[in-house]
Amino acid sequence: MVFSSIPFLYYFLPAVVICYFLISYLVGLVFKALNRDKEQTRKATLFTKNLILLLFSLLFYGWGEPIYLFLMIGSIVMFYLCGLAIDKAQTQKAKKLWVGVSVVVSLSLLAVFKYADFFVENFNALTGLSVPFLKLALPVGISFYTFQCMSYTIDLYRGNCQVQRNIVSFGAYVSMFPQLIAGPIVRYVDVAKALDNRTHSWDRVSLGLRRFVVGLAKKIILADNLALMIQIFRDSAEPSVLFYWMYAIAFTLNIYFDFSAYSDMAIGLGKVFGFDFIENFNHPYMSKNVSEFWRRWHMSLSFWFRDYVYIPLGGNRVKFARWLFNTFAVWFLTGMWHGASWNFILWGLLYFCCLVLEKLVPAMKKLPAVLGHTYTMLVVVLGFVLFNATDLAQAGSDLACMFGFGNLPLISSQTIYYLQSYALLFVLCIVGSTSLVKNTANRLCERRGVNTVVAVLEPIILIILLLVCTGYLVDGSFSPFLYFRF
Amino acid sequence: MNKYIRWIGAAVVVLIWVALTGAAWFGSDEAYSISERRDLLQWPGDPNPSGYSDVSKKDWPGLTTETVMDTTFMQAFEDYTTEQFPLRDKFRQVKALFHYNALMQKDNNNIYVVDGYAAQMDTFTDTDKLTATLMTFNRLYDQILKDAGCDIYTAIVPDKNYYLAPEYGYLSMDYELMLSMIHGRMPWAQHIDLTDCLTYKDYYFTDTHWRQEHLIPVAQKIAAAMGNTLPQESDFTKELIDAPFYGVHYGHAALPMDPEQLFVMNNDLLKACTVTYQDRTGKTVQLQGVYDYGRMVSSADLYDVFLSGEFGVITIDNPNATTDKELYVFRDSFGRSLTPLLLQDYRKVTLIDPRWARTIWAAGEMNPLFNLDSNDDVLFVYSTSVLNSDGIV
Repeated sequence: MVFSSIPFLYYFLPAVVICYFLISYLVGLVFKALNRDKEQTRKATLFTKNLILLLFSLLFYGWGEPIYLFLMIGSIVMFYLCGLAIDKAQTQKAKKLWVGVSVVVSLSLLAVFKYADFFVENFNALTGLSVPFLKLALPVGISFYTFQCMSYTIDLYRGNCQVQRNIVSFGAYVSMFPQLIAGPIVRYVDVAKALDNRTHSWDRVSLGLRRFVVGLAKKIILADNLALMIQIFRDSAEPSVLFYWMYAIAFTLNIYFDFSAYSDMAIGLGKVFGFDFIENFNHPYMSKNVSEFWRRWHMSLSFWFRDYVYIPLGGNRVKFARWLFNTFAVWFLTGMWHGASWNFILWGLLYFCCLVLEKLVPAMKKLPAVLGHTYTMLVVVLGFVLFNATDLAQAGSDLACMFGFGNLPLISSQTIYYLQSYALLFVLCIVGSTSLVKNTANRLCERRGVNTVVAVLEPIILIILLLVCTGYLVDGSFSPFLYFRF
Repeated sequence: MNKYIRWIGAAVVVLIWVALTGAAWFGSDEAYSISERRDLLQWPGDPNPSGYSDVSKKDWPGLTTETVMDTTFMQAFEDYTTEQFPLRDKFRQVKALFHYNALMQKDNNNIYVVDGYAAQMDTFTDTDKLTATLMTFNRLYDQILKDAGCDIYTAIVPDKNYYLAPEYGYLSMDYELMLSMIHGRMPWAQHIDLTDCLTYKDYYFTDTHWRQEHLIPVAQKIAAAMGNTLPQESDFTKELIDAPFYGVHYGHAALPMDPEQLFVMNNDLLKACTVTYQDRTGKTVQLQGVYDYGRMVSSADLYDVFLSGEFGVITIDNPNATTDKELYVFRDSFGRSLTPLLLQDYRKVTLIDPRWARTIWAAGEMNPLFNLDSNDDVLFVYSTSVLNSDGIV
C-alpha cells in the first residue's frame, strides 16, 4: 500500500485515525469508570494507542508483502530481546556481544535479501562459475527498519537511551507505518519519550494535516508528472541531446520531490499521532558545494552514517590517510545502501571524490554563489543520471548522449513538444525546490492583515490540493515511491 | 486569532475528507462506466449487471488464504476502491482540467482537445506491427485472392491526428512511412488516396471514427477507382439516431464535453438489405436494413448502429443491386460506416474483420467465405490508428 493511493487515503488512514483516537478514548473512559488512578489510565490509554499503531502498521506492511510480515515480526522480537539482553548484561563485554549479535543479524538480513544476488553475480563474473541466484524479492523498507533497529541497540549500548520493556511499544516504533518504508530513518532516542508519553492537540493535528497534504501534492502533482516525462523519454523513438538533459533534470527534480514528499507525509502523520520525526531535507538544491548538499539531502541517512560509521571509525580527528579511508567507507556504504548495483556504488564514490576535492581545495567551498551552485548541481544532476541507470552500460550511454557523443541531433520534434508541455512543470519544480515559497509564506504570515488572509486561504488551498490529488489517483495513475526499492 | 482560523480551516479539511471517506465506504456501487465503456468491479455478493451484452464482466477474486498470500485480493481491493470512488468521473474531470489549465500540459493521457475535437496522439510508428499485418495480407492474397483474378483495392483511412497534429503542433506517427510500407508491400492492390477527401471536421468530436454523413466524397473517390456508380448526397436521407453518442475519447479525455449526435445515411435500397452475422454465442442473427437501431439500447457504443458492431464476418445481401458483383471488404470499424455508401452496385457484400474472426482465421477456414470470380472486387479499408495499434493479428 502506498500513501498516494485511494485505499490508503480513504480507507486505511481514516480507519487507523478513528481507531487510534476513539478506542484509546473509550479505554480511558472505562478506566475512569473503574476508578483507576490517573497514571494507570494514562498507561492504559498509551498502550492502546501503541497497540493500534502496531497492528495497523503490520497490516500496512503485510498488505504489500504478506510473506515478509513474518520477517518484520521476527525482527521486532529479535531486536526487542537483544535490547533486553543488552540492558540485563552485567559486563561491557556481554553488552558488546549482544550489540554485535543485533548488528550481525541486521546486516545478514540485508546481505541475504538485498545483496546476495549482487555478490553472486560478481563472484560468477570473477571466477567464471555459475553459482545460482537466490532471486529473493526485496522486502519493502528493509534498509530503513534494519537501520532503525541497529540505532536502538547501539544507542542502548552507548547509554544514550533506556531499554524499551514493552514489546508493543517497541514494535510500534519499528513498524510505524508513517516512516516504515521510505523514512526518514527515525532513531529510537528521538521517539522514546513519545512512545511512553505523548500528548495530542488540535494544533498538532492541523499542522500535521497541512504537512501531509502538501507532501501528497508534491508527490502526485509534481513528482508523478515528472515520472511520466521520464517514462516518455525512455520510450521515445526520437531522442536528442536536449531530451537527455531534460531527462536528467526531470529525474533530479523527480527524486527530490518524490522522496521529500514521502518525508513530509511521514512527518505530518507522525504529528497527528503525537510523534516528532526529524526533518529529512532542507532545500538541498540550494547548496553551494557538495558538503553542504549532504547536510541538506536525506539528512537522516547522513546523520546515521556519521554517528554509527564515520565517528566510530575516527571521523576527521585522524591522520589524512585514515580520514580518507573513513570517508571512503562511508560513501561506499552510502552508495551500497541505495542499491545492490555498481552504479549506486559509483554514485556514492562520486561524492567521495567531490568531498575529498573540497577538503584538499578549500577554495571550492568558498566559490561565488553562482559558480558554487552550478558546480554542485552539475555533480548532482550527473550523479543522478548514474543513479537512475539500470546498469553501468546504460549510465555510460546516457552520460555520453548528454554530451553529444551519442550521434544524436541536438533537438527533435518530440523534444520540442515535451519541452513545451512540461515547461511550466519544470519551472514550478525548480522554484519549489528552493526556499522561496517557504520564505515568502513566512514573510506574509508576519505581516498584520496579510497573515489573516493567509490563514483563511490555507485551508482552501489544502482542500483544492486534496481534491486535485484525488482526481489524479482516481484517474488511475499508479505511483510507487522511488525509495521503495531500498 | 490566526491560530483559531487555522484550526477551523483544518476542521473543514477534515470534514471534507470524512465526507469523501463516508461516501466511499457506504455509497452504492456503480455497475458500469459510461465514459469508459466498461464494467466496474463491484463488491462481491452485490453483482449488478450492466445490461450491456457486449462488454465483459469483471470478477472479484474473493478473500482466501491464497488470494491474500499472492496479493491478488489486495490488488482487487485497490482496483475496487479506485473504480468505485464516489463522483469518479467528476474527479477525473478535475484532474484533466488541472492538468491542462494549471500545469499547461498539452495532452492528458495522450489525448488532446483542439477546436472541440479530441484526438489521440500516436507518437510511435509501430513498423513491426504493420509488417506483421502486411505479411498477413500477403498470405491472404497468396492463398485466396491471387488466382481469382479480381480487382483489389486499398483505402487507408487517415485518423483524426493526421489532420490535427501538423496544424496544432502535436506529435503523430510517421504517416508517410506507413503509407509507403503499405504501397510497397501490397503491389498487387490499387491504392486509393483518401487524405485529400477529408479534414478533421469530418470526424466526431469525441470519437476516433469519421462521420458517415461526411463520407460522400470518400465513397465517390472509391467508387470511381473501382469503376462503380458514384453515390450522391441526394441518394440518401440523413437520419438522426435519437440517443446521445459518447465517443471513445469522451472518457479518455475526461474533460467536460457534451455527448454528440450521430447520423446515418439511409435510403430504400439500404432498408431492403439483409444483414447476417454470428453473434458472440455463435447464434446466427439476421437484420433487415444495414442500421441496427436496437443498439441504441443494448450497446455501450452507439457507433454499433452501423452493421450491429464488431463481428468477424458480416454479410449484406442487396436484392436491389444494379449488378451481380460481390464485394469483399477487409476492414476495421471504419469500414462499417463506409460500406453502406458503396452498396448499390453489389449483390452481396462480405465484411471480414480478422480481429474478430481469429478462430476462423487460425483454422484456415476463411476459404469457404470466398466465392470469388474476376467480376468481384476486394477492398481493404483500415485506419492508420488501427494499423499502428492493434494491427489485425
